[in-house]
Amino acid sequence: MEETQQHHSNTQTSQQQVAIHQLACHDCDLLQVIPPLEVGQAARCIRCDALLYRNQKNSVDRSLAFAITGLILFVIANMFPLLSLKALGVVQDGTLLSTSLSLFNAERPLLAVIILFTTIIFPATTLVGTIVVLIQVKTNRINEYTALVFRFLRSTDAWGMLEIFMLAVLVSVVKLGDLADVIYGLSLYAFCLLVITLTLLSYSLNPHDVWNSLRNYRGCNI
Amino acid sequence: MNFVTAREKGLIACHFCSTLCKLPENITTEDGEEIELHCPCCQSEIHSRIPNSLSRTWALLIAAIILYVPANTLPIMTVTLWGDGQPDTIMSGVIHLMDGGMWPLALLIFIASIFIPILKLIILTGLMLSIHFKINWKAKDRTVLYRITEFVGRWSMVDVFVIGILVTLVHFGNTATVSPNIGSLSFAAVVILTMFAAHTFDPRLIWDSCAEIRKRSNKESQ
Repeated sequence: MEETQQHHSNTQTSQQQVAIHQLACHDCDLLQVIPPLEVGQAARCIRCDALLYRNQKNSVDRSLAFAITGLILFVIANMFPLLSLKALGVVQDGTLLSTSLSLFNAERPLLAVIILFTTIIFPATTLVGTIVVLIQVKTNRINEYTALVFRFLRSTDAWGMLEIFMLAVLVSVVKLGDLADVIYGLSLYAFCLLVITLTLLSYSLNPHDVWNSLRNYRGCNI
Repeated sequence: MNFVTAREKGLIACHFCSTLCKLPENITTEDGEEIELHCPCCQSEIHSRIPNSLSRTWALLIAAIILYVPANTLPIMTVTLWGDGQPDTIMSGVIHLMDGGMWPLALLIFIASIFIPILKLIILTGLMLSIHFKINWKAKDRTVLYRITEFVGRWSMVDVFVIGILVTLVHFGNTATVSPNIGSLSFAAVVILTMFAAHTFDPRLIWDSCAEIRKRSNKESQ
């Protein structure tokens, strides 16, 4: 009944196969049975084509690696200036945090709060929270707060906007290039790597792996 | 083909972990209020459909449409060069970039700040009206339109970030400063409100209204 995307046709051990019996599509509520998927396969809704389930290789391990890398890069990206502007012998530094602080100083506190949350707080909670949850899943130490933390991470997923901030940095560099000397800061390199790592993290992380462990913990298999 | 949704089977799929839960027979208390149901796996509150999805989406959408006017007519930032301030709206900023020969950048800002917000407002309004007037038009395509609005909406924030970066970097006393104006706040509010509107909109309602129309036409033909 399902349409599966087959990337690997070779046989895998049954351990890596994930069997979910029944799922309702989150976009159209259609009940459908998902067969055991092999690594690299994805199941899509037969009615509205929504992605229902992916079975990825080593999703937990890879995501944990990306999250730890991301956290290190996040710290470096916040330590030094991203960009500096040199005009008339004066150098003005711009860090990730100073973007929102300067809006506080310019008496736009709401804008400052929006930028603070989307570029610092949500990316930081995503990285730290993902590391904590994945370590708990890996070491079988799930507790009653794991579900709460992971639900918070899933609902704030769309609000971490570092990749959009990177586009904004590019736009600013081109805009300012005519007027003054733009100096690339040390953090800019870490920041670019951070954006790549976050993208890889969101691609490699399979939320169903975490939910399946939680279902085992609570003993409510479907 | 006969499609069965989770609701028709008396099941609720959890929004977060997709666990299917049986809907109890008595979902109202003695006072006639609906009882809160919680997912056995992740403890989140579960609903068959997002509660009051239509009225909440309308409220957010109308607020966004109202704020769209000041966002585009009021200046978003003032660039002061040698004490000579020049307020810029979104559109005049795009025109300045085109005059300066930076048309790829102008196109990018035009798409992110003007085209995407208006596309989102039109698509969401259209989807809401199609449900209200029970129009039986390509449910799958409408779901795809919904997914586009959900995916593309956050990229409009790029202009807000550019303002933040410019305010931080261009800070040279009397020579050159950039200050944010009230238009940037209304623009950020439009982006955030439409993101919330897309989030509270329940795409399953599209399929529900189509199923209802089909049921009614079946009855009439019998």
